[in-house]
Amino acid sequence: MEFFYHIGKYLVFLRKVFKRPQKRNIFIQNIFFEIEKLGINSVVIVFIISIFMGAVITLQTAYNIEVSFVPLYLVGLGTRDSMFLEFSSTIVALILAGKVGANIASEIGTMKIREQIEALDMMGVNSESYLVLPKIIASVFTFPLLTLFSMFVGIFGGYLAVYFTNAIPLDDFVYGIHYYFIPFYITYSLIKMAIFAFIIATVPAYQAYFIRGGALEVGKANTKAVVYSSILILFFNVIITQILLS
Amino acid sequence: MIEVRNISKSFGEEQILKNISLTFERGKTNLIIGQSGSGKTVLLKSIVGIHEIDEGEIIFGGQVYSSMDRKEKQKIRQEIGMVFQGGALFDSYTVYENVIFPLRMFSGMSKKEMNKRVDFCLDRVNLQNVNDFYPSEISGGMQKRVAIARAIVLNPKYLFFDEPNSGLDPKTAIVIDNLIKEITVDFNTVTVINTHDMNSVAETGDNIAFIYNGQAWWTGNNKDILESENKELNEFVFATKLMRSIKK
Ligand SMILES: Nc1ncnc2c1ncn2[C@@H]1O[C@H](COP(=O)(O)OP(=O)(O)O)[C@@H](O)[C@H]1O
Ligand SMILES: [Mg+2]
Repeated sequence: MEFFYHIGKYLVFLRKVFKRPQKRNIFIQNIFFEIEKLGINSVVIVFIISIFMGAVITLQTAYNIEVSFVPLYLVGLGTRDSMFLEFSSTIVALILAGKVGANIASEIGTMKIREQIEALDMMGVNSESYLVLPKIIASVFTFPLLTLFSMFVGIFGGYLAVYFTNAIPLDDFVYGIHYYFIPFYITYSLIKMAIFAFIIATVPAYQAYFIRGGALEVGKANTKAVVYSSILILFFNVIITQILLS
Repeated sequence: MIEVRNISKSFGEEQILKNISLTFERGKTNLIIGQSGSGKTVLLKSIVGIHEIDEGEIIFGGQVYSSMDRKEKQKIRQEIGMVFQGGALFDSYTVYENVIFPLRMFSGMSKKEMNKRVDFCLDRVNLQNVNDFYPSEISGGMQKRVAIARAIVLNPKYLFFDEPNSGLDPKTAIVIDNLIKEITVDFNTVTVINTHDMNSVAETGDNIAFIYNGQAWWTGNNKDILESENKELNEFVFATKLMRSIKK
């Protein structure tokens, strides 16, 4: 029952979020501000996890190929497809749910308990739209770019791993990267990420918007935000995969 | 003038406001006093429309605010300035950005006019050279003054203050009280102040309403209040030794 109550409340919330912005220039300014805060500030963490994961996936595949009749270029192909299909969208989204989701929940939660949201409403500002819409647009626009970036960096990480360890010949790895490339995998990943971005921007905002009380409540909203958005990401991952790849 | 007629407000099972009727006059400081938890904040937020009331009417300058639709309410809201208990300044905006914000959203003024207005308002609350500070970088008293500057920037007809003195030392509290009094006369606003600070009551109480048990238990001014025979009011007013010594 409570599940349906929240779905309904979330949809009502979204309807307010999608109200037309009251001042165009302030709205655009806020979008750029959020792009910097949510997107650009996540570049480093995406770089770090992608380069290491690319390296590890490569090495694990390389060391697990022991039988000689398996072609070595499969290492490169495996790294590429793991990154393109799953890692650079779903895993990066889960990391961003932790980082960006928590950031959104604590920002909005703090504004709520310190009456700043009521202050906006009192002035006549549509606070839901003012605060959340720029975050949605910034996330849906920049997170897929982070996915592309992660794909590139992950493969580069695999390349470096092969280069330094000589686990397989470098040429085989590079051949594998190019082998039987399906461009639609990239489209698929970007579509997934755009949907995950929407979840990461709205679910934490929703969790934080209705709290009452003090700092403890902000902390709770924070935790819920990360847990629920992660579960939703995993759930939608299955749904979208079924729709797009079946 | 603001008239509050027979309003009630509950949260779930708990009734916070019970059939309250009050009148707030223009150019005067109208005080709402009562113990912590007595419902002062809920009353204030019900009057301005942050909380929806269950019963009764709220009338701003002859217009029934409580039964207006969103759009009509919006018009009245732009005439209301409100200072929340903690100031409710936006943390990520500087002092200047906080004060100019309502102008940028709603005034349609040119950049130059806006800056002039911001300077005027910050000057009015006696703040200089703090434009580029963030709220966390200035004192509590200064934050309150910035919040007041933001509240008056659109030239409001109605001003609401929720515990303007909370968290301030007595000297700063008096500065803020006096500022509110001056602004009320200067701008000729209907000013409504929540407080549990007896000092402000003595200093600024043109009209006083004492909230007790969710009801408007007693109303009067800052002279009557010391002479009243009302038991609950006396317990509140003369809770401190200092106040008791005044009575003698
Ligand atoms: N949004 C709300 N939902 C439920 N209860 C509330 C809400 N706001 C205030 N209350 C309750 O109303 C009562 C009065 O609170 P409040 O108006 O803040 O008191 P005061 O401002 O006089 O200290 C308290 O018991 C508080 O818990
Ligand atoms: Mg209060």
